[in-house]
Amino acid sequence: MKLKMDFVSSAKLNGKPEKKKIDYILNRVKDGSILVIDGVMKAEEEMNLIKETMRRVDDGFPGIEVCSLKKQLKGLNYVFDRLSDSKDRFFSWMTKKEMAELKTGMTLVGPAKIIKKIKKNPDSFSVVTEM
Amino acid sequence: MVFEGLINFFRNIFGGRKQISLGIYGCTNVGKTTLANKIALDWTGETVGKASHIPHETRYVQKKEKVEIKSDSKRLNINILDMPGISTKIDYRQFLKYKINKKAAKERAKEATKGVVEAIKWLDNVDTVLAVMDSTKDPLTQVNITLLGNLEARNIPVILVANKVDLKRSKPEQIKEAFPQYPVVHISALKGRNMDELYDAIIKHARKAK
Repeated sequence: MKLKMDFVSSAKLNGKPEKKKIDYILNRVKDGSILVIDGVMKAEEEMNLIKETMRRVDDGFPGIEVCSLKKQLKGLNYVFDRLSDSKDRFFSWMTKKEMAELKTGMTLVGPAKIIKKIKKNPDSFSVVTEM
Repeated sequence: MVFEGLINFFRNIFGGRKQISLGIYGCTNVGKTTLANKIALDWTGETVGKASHIPHETRYVQKKEKVEIKSDSKRLNINILDMPGISTKIDYRQFLKYKINKKAAKERAKEATKGVVEAIKWLDNVDTVLAVMDSTKDPLTQVNITLLGNLEARNIPVILVANKVDLKRSKPEQIKEAFPQYPVVHISALKGRNMDELYDAIIKHARKAK
């Protein structure tokens, strides 16, 4: 059995409405791909990814395994990051569309049928798959 | 009786918001319903729902409203909201090993997926959250990280509850190491251990409710 991994640049998802980001991820994962994304979604987007996953669960697709490593920000960088979130929320409110940029970091999302375990450490993770 | 009513009336007017919605969140099988039952039993003598070792026993939001908890001279009225466990995967096959037949397992899985969606939607309606973690397991799960990130983004006060400290393999200190920025209370909801400290923490942190 083959294992398919797709490496996705942040440019592919940046600026897309949240729904399109989630559709992009789930459509590929449901087809059996493991995605490694060059960036991290906002916590709210990740929660909505879980929510949308639950809506798509069926006998052949039990869900996803997901793990993200976000760059830890301190001091002014943390303040700027929160300001950036506020900016995203403001523009989303203005345009009535969720369009947040990905944060610096890395995300792995794959089908739960294939990924059996993800062991996460603060700055790394390891993935166990079963084919 | 009338006097007490008058006190409550003036307390509600001058004492700020004293009733909060307390959401009990976490992964599956961390002891959320056992904790909700313990809190409700301590202050009302009634339970909230049925706890079980089978994952996704709680598939709907269970409520116990108008529960008054006390700590020293302070008191707080809470609505307990026991949430279905949040999960990124639900496979009906996992229920078969608990001697649940295939049809019932599929139905349970379907209800469980709806429960997760419902729990996430309720994040818009809670004032304070008890994020319950099983202290015998690794707390660095994506569900915990995503949950805490959401609560931070929404400015919802959160208390981490390191549950199951009565078990020998419990390592509650690893929860503080993983999430040092949050208050952590070590409890055993099943044995009723350290509940007073939890009530202190709820009253202390819930006062920051939005």
